[in-house]
Amino acid sequence: METRNRQPIPYWPWIPAAFALSGIVLFIFASYGPPASSSGFVSTLNGLFAWMAPEYAASKAHYQAIPGPGSWLFTFVLGMAIGGFIAGRTSKEIPVRDIPPIWKERFGESRFKRYATTFFAGFLILFASRLAGGCTLGLFISGSTQLAISGLYFGVVIFVVAMFTARLLYGKSAGKEENR
Amino acid sequence: MTNIWLGLFSGIAFGFVIQRIGATDAHRMARSHLMLDADIPRFMLLTVALSAVGLFWLQAVGVGRILPLPTSIVATGLAAVLFGIGWGLCGYCPGTIWAAAGEGRMDALFALLGGLAGTALFAQLHETLIPLLYDPTNVGQITLTDLFGNYGVAVVVLVVALGLCIWAIGKLWGSDDHERVDLFTRRPVSEKSTEV
Repeated sequence: METRNRQPIPYWPWIPAAFALSGIVLFIFASYGPPASSSGFVSTLNGLFAWMAPEYAASKAHYQAIPGPGSWLFTFVLGMAIGGFIAGRTSKEIPVRDIPPIWKERFGESRFKRYATTFFAGFLILFASRLAGGCTLGLFISGSTQLAISGLYFGVVIFVVAMFTARLLYGKSAGKEENR
Repeated sequence: MTNIWLGLFSGIAFGFVIQRIGATDAHRMARSHLMLDADIPRFMLLTVALSAVGLFWLQAVGVGRILPLPTSIVATGLAAVLFGIGWGLCGYCPGTIWAAAGEGRMDALFALLGGLAGTALFAQLHETLIPLLYDPTNVGQITLTDLFGNYGVAVVVLVVALGLCIWAIGKLWGSDDHERVDLFTRRPVSEKSTEV
């Protein structure tokens, strides 16, 4: 009975979860078109600038290419936030934390350090996504589903670089802590 | 108008599932990147394989809209490097940021704000950067079908390649020594503990 002392994994098993997500991806292809989430950021800003600085929004190609908040692209990311909220509130097992334990172990309790890093990382990720034209969903998942070379190329490089970055970041402390 | 509701519905379903698999948990993402937890990468690759087969079928019956993005050797590659650094640093990507922020993770909220700033900067520089980095090495909307000559064959090649990657990840990534709970009963799946 050595399994008795172990913590249960609170997450869904990966195979049924992949069936569920691909069902959603196919529903999106059928009902709208290729799913995308980094475009939701552009859509949000488009709405903001259309209200605060309409001349600026009208003068930039990037905002002309992507519709404002009254669009699928915006309601999709809004829905993601709502879905995350509902899922978080209905799960007792999956812990919601402001700072991941693996980060705390390496860099301490400082909220400023973690938030500054995620702000910078978010900045990089979205700048890069807009340059490539998509993100993990909009380019890798959605693109590779359509067999696009761009999606496969992007997917391979982001995985390799992220693994390398995580290794540099967490170094030797990684793996010693508990799973949850 | 229909699109607004379709988007909202799709987003809620998507956000719910990625929370349940743990993709919104930066701790789990970090462990995935460190090759300690194989579930998220296998989940992502299997999702792509199943979706590719499903889309082949959708296309065969004439449903849905596709739009493969072009490949720019320099811009797509450079963007992927920057993206990978950011992903490794914070453990969130543009989709999971929204779901994790909705879940109430404060670090994801800061990633979201940073993402808006990054988007704003790119939109400002779009007219300079796209002709400089994207256009010169843009080889167009190429797909595996162009490489293999037949859509069906290309889907099979992709599915086999992804299957091999999933198998390799299962072998190379550390297997977690924690027991799994059943999706519906919340009981441990291990046969010994059914009477718990």
